[in-house]
Amino acid sequence: MNFRTFILGLAASFGLPWLLLIVVPAMKYQSLAPVAYDKEKDGMDGIYPPAPVNGQGQLVYVREGCNQCHTQMIRPVQLGLDGWYKGWGQDQEARPAAPVRSNRLEDYLGEKYALLGVQRIGPDLANAGWRLTDRAKVHQHLFSPKSVHDWSTMPSYAHLYKVQKIQGPPSDRAIKLPKKFALPAGYEAVPTPEAEVLVDYLFSLKRDFPVPGQIAPVAAAAPAPAKK
Amino acid sequence: MQSDSITPDTVADNVRRAAIDKSVRGPVLFLFLNGAFWLMLATLLGVLSAVKLIAPAFLEGCPYISYGRLQPAHINALVYGWGVQAALGVMLWIMARRSGQELRSGKSLLIAAGVFWNITITFGILGVLMNKSTSMEWLEMPKWTWPILLLCFLTYAWPMARMFGRAFRPEGFMVSTWYILGACFWFPWIFITANVALHCLPGLGALGAGINAWYVHAVILLFFVPVGIGAAYYFIPKITGQPIASAQLASGGFWGLAILGGWTGMQKYMGGPLPAWMPAVGAFTAVMLLIPVGLVGLNHHLTTLGKHSSVATSPTLRFIFFGSLFYPVSGVVLALISTFWSGAAMQFTQAWYAFQMVSVYGFFSMCAFGAIYYIVPRLSGCEWLSVRLIRNHFWFSVYGVSTIVIMGLVAGWQQGADLNNPAFWDQNFMNHVINSRPYVVARAVAFGLISFSNALFLLHLMLMVAGLGRRSNAPTLLHREHHDEQALPTGSHA
Repeated sequence: MNFRTFILGLAASFGLPWLLLIVVPAMKYQSLAPVAYDKEKDGMDGIYPPAPVNGQGQLVYVREGCNQCHTQMIRPVQLGLDGWYKGWGQDQEARPAAPVRSNRLEDYLGEKYALLGVQRIGPDLANAGWRLTDRAKVHQHLFSPKSVHDWSTMPSYAHLYKVQKIQGPPSDRAIKLPKKFALPAGYEAVPTPEAEVLVDYLFSLKRDFPVPGQIAPVAAAAPAPAKK
Repeated sequence: MQSDSITPDTVADNVRRAAIDKSVRGPVLFLFLNGAFWLMLATLLGVLSAVKLIAPAFLEGCPYISYGRLQPAHINALVYGWGVQAALGVMLWIMARRSGQELRSGKSLLIAAGVFWNITITFGILGVLMNKSTSMEWLEMPKWTWPILLLCFLTYAWPMARMFGRAFRPEGFMVSTWYILGACFWFPWIFITANVALHCLPGLGALGAGINAWYVHAVILLFFVPVGIGAAYYFIPKITGQPIASAQLASGGFWGLAILGGWTGMQKYMGGPLPAWMPAVGAFTAVMLLIPVGLVGLNHHLTTLGKHSSVATSPTLRFIFFGSLFYPVSGVVLALISTFWSGAAMQFTQAWYAFQMVSVYGFFSMCAFGAIYYIVPRLSGCEWLSVRLIRNHFWFSVYGVSTIVIMGLVAGWQQGADLNNPAFWDQNFMNHVINSRPYVVARAVAFGLISFSNALFLLHLMLMVAGLGRRSNAPTLLHREHHDEQALPTGSHA
């Protein structure tokens, strides 16, 4: 083997996976576009996916490194229980009729980089937008996680809030805290714009919209057909 | 064994070796010293981030060190601060020695590149802590850093490629330089690909996450692993005085890694939004990698067979020996977190952290320590001061990293079992959080031990670089009597 064949060997052995696993999929990804639902077949209007996530809030999520502990990805039931966790999808019923569907490439369309997550130390947030309903409660959770769950290991994001002296009537945006965690008398914590967009982002996390062409009457299919 | 018979040939050889050592002295010592500093910082950040994971209220007033920023800072300091710098130093020295070439010119350029590398990662890691993180794994530093880091790396890679090219002999077999050239060649390619895809393309959504996972695996398998194996292939025969057992095994291990290494990674997001074939291919190659891993392991085993007494005496061989033991272990851990049956249980758990630690710390860093213990005395002109410091460094590192890896795997199993426990389907995350807490405590303690050993290492290295080591002709060996001719011919320590 001479020098040239050695270098060629190095280039070819890595170049093949580089081309097939990275370059070609990245090029093909560029042509991925939203699809319209077919009123006849799908029984609904609009386009899939309906709306992108809140980009401004995502920047805050990225800077704080939330994805170190929170995933945004529902696995299919044969790999994990994700789909059956209560409230992890659109259906917030105690016992949903069907598991939440696992995610597809299109669900993250329009995101510069999908924050699928590093570890799952906290709950999955792929469809958190359905689960979170009370803005004030989410702000309280971000400001003082321990006031929501005393076992929580989530860090406090108090630096996204402004603690100020109450002047005149208290702000209606001020965070309500239980007595044990209350701020000193005469002070209140109000969300900064950053905290507001972060909550907007969390509320916009809805990634289990029905897929065009795959909407089957769920109740009818008693033993779930093997989907490929 | 003929260490006493000094012939004109051996004198000429020694003069040539000394000239080569002298030519790379500045850059190599610069990289080692800065790398050791970053290593200590990285392990201290490891302690702190483990503490923050158990008790987020610790130093809560400071938003710069919340877990989401601290953990990336810890990993980046370990990978770019210590890992790449130590690797470049080891690569440069081995390449120069193995190819018999002096570094002809551009020494000050290399040092300048090293300075720029350090400045860039300092600002990059400060950026991560101060609200500029990109949240892309192993690429959390702000995006302006990557072109500078790339240029600095290429400044080192180019002279190494030149040396390799000048000394290449078709009939000869130089497996250690093969690996090192591979690392020089693949790292820029991987680094450019990931950064262009994630920072310059208009946005790849979930595919970007897949490419990011691929980047982490590719840097481990095609940069850290080759440097570690290259060092092992260089030092094991050199110190035991035995030739590498089998050229076929060596060649098979090399090409197996080269062919398979680039495919794996996307199985981190198995069951996720990526097209199903991508994680499937990644999982398949992660398991197939056990073949080249096994070939290299077997080869090292056969080479050290019957020479285990020198593992006890030579600090270099001891570190390299345990580093090479960790290589098959990291291969098994990779296979374990990659196959669908065990990987699905360990996905998104501390097992992922355990894999990064076993490959970057357990395998690569142990090999790099071994190499540093061999190289530095030849560059600084004095011998390591204290056997006890070396021994402490060794045992604290071995026990520390083993604890981190075992705890990570067991915690991963526990977390996976909790996540897939049907009894918890309508519960909040209380059980998951509480059940995984003890393992993180163990990690914090283990990182404390490692930080202690790294402080000793840094101190020892600083003394050596300052030229304050032992003035002696005999190497510092891990026996009470420093001359153990039976166990170790001094000729092998030239």
